[in-house]
Amino acid sequence: MFKKLFLGTTEINFYKLGNTFLKVFIVEMTIFIAVIGLSLSGYRDLNLSVDFTGGTTYQLSTDYSSDDISDVMNNTILKVSRYQTFENSNSIIFRAVESTQDKETELLNYLSYKFDVPTENIEFQRVGPTFGAEITSKGLRALFIFLAIIVALISFRYELKFAIIALVALFHDLLLSYTVYELLGLEITPSTIIALLTILGYSLYDTVILFDKLKDSQKIYKRNNLNSDILNKTFNEVLMRSINTSLTSAFPIISILFLGNYLGIDGSLSDFAVPLLIGILSGTYSSIFVTVPFLSKIIKTN
Amino acid sequence: MISLSLFIYVFINDISPKLGLDLQGGISLILTAEEGTDSELIEQAVNIMRSRISAFGDVQEPEISISGENSVLVQLPGITDQEKAIEAVGTTGLLTFRPVLNSSLSLGYSPALTIVENPDDPENPIISAPNGVDSLTGLTINDDPTKVSYLLSLSGGYPVIYELGPAVLTGNDISDALAVYPQNEWIVQLVLKDNSANKFTELTKQLASLTGEQRKLAIVLDSQVISAPGIALDVNPNIGITGGTAAISMGNADQGESANNLAVVLRYGALPVSFERSSIQKVSATLGENTLRLGLEAGLIGLIFVSLFLIFYYRINGFIAILGLSSFGMLFYSAISLLGKYQGYTLTLAGIAGIIVSIGLAADSYIVTFEKFKDELKIGRSFQYASEKAVTEAWKTILTADFVSLTASVILYVLAIGPIRGFALTLGLATIFDLIFTRFFTKNAVPLFAKVSDNTRLFFPIKKEVLSNV
Repeated sequence: MFKKLFLGTTEINFYKLGNTFLKVFIVEMTIFIAVIGLSLSGYRDLNLSVDFTGGTTYQLSTDYSSDDISDVMNNTILKVSRYQTFENSNSIIFRAVESTQDKETELLNYLSYKFDVPTENIEFQRVGPTFGAEITSKGLRALFIFLAIIVALISFRYELKFAIIALVALFHDLLLSYTVYELLGLEITPSTIIALLTILGYSLYDTVILFDKLKDSQKIYKRNNLNSDILNKTFNEVLMRSINTSLTSAFPIISILFLGNYLGIDGSLSDFAVPLLIGILSGTYSSIFVTVPFLSKIIKTN
Repeated sequence: MISLSLFIYVFINDISPKLGLDLQGGISLILTAEEGTDSELIEQAVNIMRSRISAFGDVQEPEISISGENSVLVQLPGITDQEKAIEAVGTTGLLTFRPVLNSSLSLGYSPALTIVENPDDPENPIISAPNGVDSLTGLTINDDPTKVSYLLSLSGGYPVIYELGPAVLTGNDISDALAVYPQNEWIVQLVLKDNSANKFTELTKQLASLTGEQRKLAIVLDSQVISAPGIALDVNPNIGITGGTAAISMGNADQGESANNLAVVLRYGALPVSFERSSIQKVSATLGENTLRLGLEAGLIGLIFVSLFLIFYYRINGFIAILGLSSFGMLFYSAISLLGKYQGYTLTLAGIAGIIVSIGLAADSYIVTFEKFKDELKIGRSFQYASEKAVTEAWKTILTADFVSLTASVILYVLAIGPIRGFALTLGLATIFDLIFTRFFTKNAVPLFAKVSDNTRLFFPIKKEVLSNV
């Protein structure tokens, strides 16, 4: 098996599998749309970080009991909407609703007194609700311009149809990431947005390399358009590279997750690592499983 | 190529990357002005914030920059008195009202200086100054509004040094200020807050009982005297100025410009625009260190895994890749350090994420090349020919794919704000380096090493017969 995979002589008939992949794709899309529908209609909430909702977070390391937590949750100073604890460390994060600066400082002092931690050692973050909105809107604007340029670029280098397939693969990856976030209830922070943008990069990079390979194979077969032989040959050959690349890309990210967990460091860097890992795996997956059915369709119409 | 990047590395060895706040600890805050605020006003505000923070002393390398259309990003690493620092930049002004005790108008030199005639050299008298006062200028070095200070005024068109008592009122006591032109002259109409009116009355009572310079009340903004109007001669020392309002006569010389300026200062304090604190982030030094350590260790472990994998899988070529990747890392480190030194680029968490991602990106360029090499060997080409063909073909692929990444990072950098920019910059930089390495290093190294042997097992974990029998 390995030998065949290595030589690119696996004889998977991707052309034929196109239909099966399409069914899988449709099932996936249905799930994504269902989850998005649920969250839009208010049945599920996205776990948005303080950057998007506005408010204050306090993070401290201390020994605590569940009584302490309920004390804080029921404090009279400021409404604490959520708390978070971690398995491998004694960190604890409280999130309070937006309020005046005086109240926020009061709560800071309260926490400092309650847990006997100097105020300097309490991570404190205050964010107005506009900040997250600004990052998101600027990010979205960047995204649309980026997509327009990419479509133009791929159409120019390859074909418009290819550009559309690349976009479909891209949206698949984004939707998948969104769904995983939604279902696992992971917190969405500005870092997540950055990571999502990276996912786009990865997904496109992967797809472009594939298209390049397809074009190469067309040259070898001295054909101007795709046929099932070219499709099968290309995808069988490219399997190994796809696996290798996602492995090498995933190693550093997996090590962030494991090391972070081991050292008991939570927060920002893991905020990147989780969506990146999802994105890399999804990008590799979509570059094969999402592109193939559409390429097969193109061949059929030819 | 390797030697070159090594040379650069050694050359700048004593420069290390400038760490962002999230890796070093400190406070970061984003101040947002109202939408559509004149960008010139924001620039003015930024300049004032800079001078305030540098007067603060305790901050290592403050960074205050305009980000986006109407936001200001303030980064204060390694600061201890955080509340005070946030206060200093965030609030609109450190505006105080201080009674004038004396001034250079009556003395001809700074009231802080004691000038004694030098019996040996009548041309150069002996000048002495009290502690905390610059003996050359006669100005207080670190102004403390609760103590007597010697401060400069430039508002009259010529420098005046005032000796000022402790602040009696601050900008917080003012509710409004307006420049008006009732008859023949400009006036700044000052309205005090209800509970400050009495304080003002008491102060003016006291001042009205004095004469000359001591009858003046200085309006001080960030240790500079903006104006020092005298209490009008018809104010009764037993009553003072009552009613919570006061009028400052500004004359008629400049069509109300100075009156307007003063009114703005009184209303907003130092900053010409008022800002909302849209984000405050405090990171302790320990968390910053931990994160940095995690990033570095994870990067290293990741690199080791990638190396082992490449060696196992591509053998000699894997070795080339590791050589290339480590030079890539060194070049990258150097570039970030240099950018930190000369362009003020700070390495943040987002940047580290960008670096880790770029390791994958760079490794992929090698994988693409080696896979092409394998493909060429498979169709029966000689080692030498296959290697040359592979690097040329791979270059085209990588060029296209990297172009996509580069476009992405440029767009992100231009359009996005805050942390996203740091990420975009590292990613873009890595992509450019990747192109350089592929073009100049991989393209030469792979054909060179292909000469070493034509034993397939030295290049792939597979026998020659199997490879060529496809």
